[in-house]
Amino acid sequence: MQTVGQQLIITAIPALPALVFLVLTLFGRLLKENAQYVAILGVTISLVFSAFALLFVAGIVPGGGAPIEFAVNWIDLGAGGSFSMGVYIDGLAAVMLVVVSFVSLMIQLYSGAFMEGDSRFAWFYAVLNLFTASMLGLVLAPNFIQLYVFWELVGLCSYLLVGHWFEKPSARNAALKAFLVTRVGDAALFVGIIIFWATTGSTAFSDVSLAAQSGFIGGSLLTTAVILVFVGAVGKSAQFPLHVWLPDAMEGPTPVSALIHAATMVAAGVYLVARTYDIFVQSPTAMLVVAYIGGFTALMAATMALVKKDIKRVIAYSTVSQLGYMMLGLGIGNYTAGIFHLYNHAFFKALLFLCAGSIIYAMNSYNLFEMGGLRRRMPITFVVMVIAGLSLSGIIPLSGFWSKDAIVATAYEEHYYVLFAMALLTVFLTAFYIFRAIFIAFTGEPRTQEAREATESPGIMTGPMMLLAFLSIVSGWVGIPPGTFIPIPDYFAEFVHPSEFAVQTLGYEEHGFSWPLAIVSVVVALLGIGLAYALYVARPALAGTLAGRFSWLHRFLDKGWYFDALYGATFVRFAMWLGGATRGFDSKVIGGAVTGVGRGATGTGGLLQRLQSGGVQNYALFILLSVLIIGVVVGAQYAVIVVGLIVLITAAAFAVGSRL
Amino acid sequence: MPQLPAQVQQFIDALVSAPPLEGYLVVGAFLFAIGAWGALVRRNAVVIFMCVELMINGVNLTLVAFADYLPGAGGLGVSYAVLVIAIAAAEVAVGLAIVLAVFRSRRTVNVDEVTSMRG
Repeated sequence: MQTVGQQLIITAIPALPALVFLVLTLFGRLLKENAQYVAILGVTISLVFSAFALLFVAGIVPGGGAPIEFAVNWIDLGAGGSFSMGVYIDGLAAVMLVVVSFVSLMIQLYSGAFMEGDSRFAWFYAVLNLFTASMLGLVLAPNFIQLYVFWELVGLCSYLLVGHWFEKPSARNAALKAFLVTRVGDAALFVGIIIFWATTGSTAFSDVSLAAQSGFIGGSLLTTAVILVFVGAVGKSAQFPLHVWLPDAMEGPTPVSALIHAATMVAAGVYLVARTYDIFVQSPTAMLVVAYIGGFTALMAATMALVKKDIKRVIAYSTVSQLGYMMLGLGIGNYTAGIFHLYNHAFFKALLFLCAGSIIYAMNSYNLFEMGGLRRRMPITFVVMVIAGLSLSGIIPLSGFWSKDAIVATAYEEHYYVLFAMALLTVFLTAFYIFRAIFIAFTGEPRTQEAREATESPGIMTGPMMLLAFLSIVSGWVGIPPGTFIPIPDYFAEFVHPSEFAVQTLGYEEHGFSWPLAIVSVVVALLGIGLAYALYVARPALAGTLAGRFSWLHRFLDKGWYFDALYGATFVRFAMWLGGATRGFDSKVIGGAVTGVGRGATGTGGLLQRLQSGGVQNYALFILLSVLIIGVVVGAQYAVIVVGLIVLITAAAFAVGSRL
Repeated sequence: MPQLPAQVQQFIDALVSAPPLEGYLVVGAFLFAIGAWGALVRRNAVVIFMCVELMINGVNLTLVAFADYLPGAGGLGVSYAVLVIAIAAAEVAVGLAIVLAVFRSRRTVNVDEVTSMRG
């Protein structure tokens, strides 16, 4: 059990960045560029508190050693149940907290220089902090409802940040696309949550899992609900077929891309699957779906990255591909490896984006083919980018190797040979595309004047990059599996592991480290790097010839397998048609009805206007007529008198009327 | 006193005895109808006022007749008649003032020519 003070510290982890958001929103105009100091102070304290949570859960702080769990009642529906807001931190959440706040801190340090002179500098930092706060809140959530609230906040922040330069139409469209595509997943997730709530009466992850175990929900309904939740994760984590938003999201400022790709937005999907793993394992079909979607996405996105000319898009497709690995790892039962890859990926992917940002800062271009020869001009960026590239390719002993190898090896050992082949091919493609980008940008001769005059970025940018480079090397060393000769225990697996229940349900056994598989995957990665070297350094002309020879393939990959065109022709077109039809209905039917009522009133008024002759005797006549009509109704028995009077009055009316 | 024929005697009796309520009501109704007719068809504003007075007096006659013939009313009709006479006087004062004002600005009291309230 933790004390109240410790609970306050835990609550402050997401609350501090949220507070910074409020302060910067209110006083941003006064603070201007000083906003970064407020933001960095807030997120630093968050990082320290996250580290405390990690140490507490790990049992290093006295009184700790168990998951942190507390909650307050949020909405009480009486007999209908209740919803609580709370905190649940196990090893998984603790690791995520530290990763998110650490990467966020690095990016906020770096942004100070990158965004200097931006007209909405303070607002940028404000949303960056709201983004961090939402992700931290999502990580802490013990139930679906709270998770969903922060899930949507994360989506909102990504919309705001991708569209930060909304003066550009492409940025506006990209922000809208990111928001709408992820909404598809969000809607599915919400339906899944409703199914869980309706069948089990609870939204807490642990309760839903227990309810499913005791048969409150099962069979195809459970599979449907789990797959709906997974579709939510697919949207957020940019998996096939909802991956199309992530490459376009590159329109945002580069630090935002780094944050989205490394720690906040896209990690949320993988985290959701990991968080609800106990529910997922109860549906073998859903697990297979997760594995195959992950494996296919990894391969597909890697092929798309092969031919991109925009350095940020290469890295963006790389993220899609790596997220596929994580899903694959979770789907085939190696929970620890999936999360371990998320954790390692956060560092080297953030670093890759910061390197890209550094190049863009230096020469104001995204296009790889306007770079070249930057190795001498930007030595620090070059070195750290090579480190990140090696880590991404999975070269022993960098961090990326340990997690990626664990996933690839598990695919083989659990006899998913198709997935194993896909994963291994992806290893090759990954090494190729990232070193293609590095070789084009950094080696050879400068292709433009900007490339010739590029200078190294300032220390506030290279500092975080070097720190991340260091982590890209060593972060994987806490999770070296048993079976190697390296005498470091596997802390990570001890700390982040699936529940007993999940292990039993899956019948999953640890396989330990396998040298032959490791050598195979490293050799494949080295082959990829070698091919990139051969095509882009040794014989640069060959790449162009190949692209020309296989131009249809080149175009197919460059257009991202024509997914955008396909969605454009189907969903977008249908939505536009529906929008047009609705607008037509609104203007024609509803608008017509409203206008018609108005016209009718005007017309009737015009007719009745003639009665208002202004002649006082006319009015008197109307009064008399009206009284007579009342008299007819009331006193029908005096019909003779009444008829006589009517004749009299009619005669009078004619007498008056003839004169008017 | 010579004996008059029965029919003549009957006629004289009818003449000197109190008339029935219907008689007053018919006279009142005729007064009202003549007034209404005049108010509707005459053009001169002053004549219209006179016609309105006729209508009012028709109603007054009815009120008084009812007051006399219906003891249950407790003479309330008479006090109403007095009230109506007072108000009619006031109304004539205001009305004639208006007619005078219209005459000053337009040099006419023909109501057909006063139609500035036309919608």
